[in-house]
Amino acid sequence: MLTIIQNTFREALAKKIFIGYYIFYAIVILIMIFLVNMDSVEGVMSLADSKMLVQQVETGFLTISWNLIIFFSLISTASFIPSMLEKGTIDLLISKPISRPMILFSKFLGAVLFVFLSMVFLLGSMWLILSLKSGYWDPMFLLSILWITLAFATMYSIVVIIGLTTQSTVVAILVNFFLIFVLCPLLSTREGVVFTLVSNETVKFIFDFLYYLLPKPGEFRDIATSMINGDQINMWKSTANAETGLFTVSCFRQLALFCLCLLLWRILYFTFPKKITNNNYQ
Amino acid sequence: MHVIETQNLYKEYTQKFSKQKVNALNDFTFNVEQGEIFGLLGPNGAGKTTLIKILLAITFPTNGSAKLFGTDVRNYKAKTKVGYLPENHKFPSYLTGEQVLSYYGQLSGMKAGADMTKRIDEMLGLMNLTQWRKTKIKKYSKGMMQKLGLAQSMLSDPDLIFLDEPTDGVDPIGRKEIRDILAQIKSRGKTIFLNSHLLSEVEMICDRVAILNKGDLIKEGNVDDLTKAENIFAVHTVEPISMEIKQKVLAVDANAGIGEKEINTETGTASLNKIIDVLRNCNINILSVNQKTNTLEELFINVIKKDNTN
Repeated sequence: MLTIIQNTFREALAKKIFIGYYIFYAIVILIMIFLVNMDSVEGVMSLADSKMLVQQVETGFLTISWNLIIFFSLISTASFIPSMLEKGTIDLLISKPISRPMILFSKFLGAVLFVFLSMVFLLGSMWLILSLKSGYWDPMFLLSILWITLAFATMYSIVVIIGLTTQSTVVAILVNFFLIFVLCPLLSTREGVVFTLVSNETVKFIFDFLYYLLPKPGEFRDIATSMINGDQINMWKSTANAETGLFTVSCFRQLALFCLCLLLWRILYFTFPKKITNNNYQ
Repeated sequence: MHVIETQNLYKEYTQKFSKQKVNALNDFTFNVEQGEIFGLLGPNGAGKTTLIKILLAITFPTNGSAKLFGTDVRNYKAKTKVGYLPENHKFPSYLTGEQVLSYYGQLSGMKAGADMTKRIDEMLGLMNLTQWRKTKIKKYSKGMMQKLGLAQSMLSDPDLIFLDEPTDGVDPIGRKEIRDILAQIKSRGKTIFLNSHLLSEVEMICDRVAILNKGDLIKEGNVDDLTKAENIFAVHTVEPISMEIKQKVLAVDANAGIGEKEINTETGTASLNKIIDVLRNCNINILSVNQKTNTLEELFINVIKKDNTN
């Protein structure tokens, strides 16, 4: 498992797109260093003011960049599964004494760990700068690293499913774009917007069904910002959104999606072996 | 215990658009013993690659069973002592030659450390790739990639090695080197399962071959036995054979083929000795007497033609 994870890191580092992201992250960090000045308002700020300002900067940054960070991370990792399934690569991997679910799980974990470390670099640096400048050390912002990684992992499960079925990086990215920026936000606001326009119970049921079925990257962000603001988080219902909570948006869905990936991996090999492994037979 | 054992293997594919069923393997049963170099021959679409993929559990048979070292191939642990060089293999292009070997070595169960490094050095040296070890493989030529693939398949010192077109893209000197390496592996009691289109190469390397056509096993046996043409002899003379001598030869063997300085007989040693007597009585000097053998290529073409006619 460690070998495949290590190789996934090498694959990621070999991609120029990741270098681009790191340069971008470094620029964001530099901006934080030079622009955020806690002493600017009438001399030295009180701790309470600093706390409020730090919370505002942190939640503001997460609100603006959350979906973009997840989407860019998905773009850069979306090719991992299709490239692994290429003829000549997958044959050799499967010929080794490793189980198929383990190959897939290791690849998945490698991508997730890589994104986790990228977030440690970006959000960890931001936290350090804000804390040093304000004197207010709030560990809750650091938890955002976990939440954003979990949100990424949930979305990446979908990339894995699409990668396994279509072997197409482009399709995986397009579907994720649609989910992150169109469908999921629409479903999140279904009670406030859609249901006021639609009275048909079947349509409402479909919207509800899709809402609970599909991943919710936005709700992960709500949990992260709620924690930063010191709001109480319920295991089943978050304060940010009365219908979803920590457990329902993270653990359960993540587990369910990944189990689905593993199931699909096995089904594909038993039912449609030609699709992946027998592009030509002789 | 056989190294490879298959029982009534049957593989059927359904074509994507026409939905037509294609039999890639039909009731295929064979065994491979330890220390053999076993060659798999057949025209394109005969089922060779399908067979290798089934043996490595890359694809699964529609019916029948396959075992490696007595363990069902569906159990991934059966592949612990197996090396594989696929046809048109694709290594991660961002790795160096050394990293490729390290990566696949670890996937084969080797532990990273001094022993593995030593083994990698050994393999790179054997393939004349030492000076390229730190070079990214995207800069490698096809021949170098093939050698690296071969090194990868042998790295963990497996007891059974599957080689799918191992000399593809390798120059004649490289081919000779690969043949020598395979002979060396065989001398250490390892088993090699070879799939190659180069019949002359298979003939030189393999102990036993199986010929497949349209999914059927149509011939299997030792290379020497299959290529031997027991009763066919050729006599070469120094002087040209005159019409008078031709008549005398035809009198002892009516079916003898007579050229200007060559007589071919297909009726065994008795007839051969009579022809030699005739020639010597006529004061004809004999240059050589050879027992004829079919090349594997001739055998292959004859067998496939016959099977296609049937």
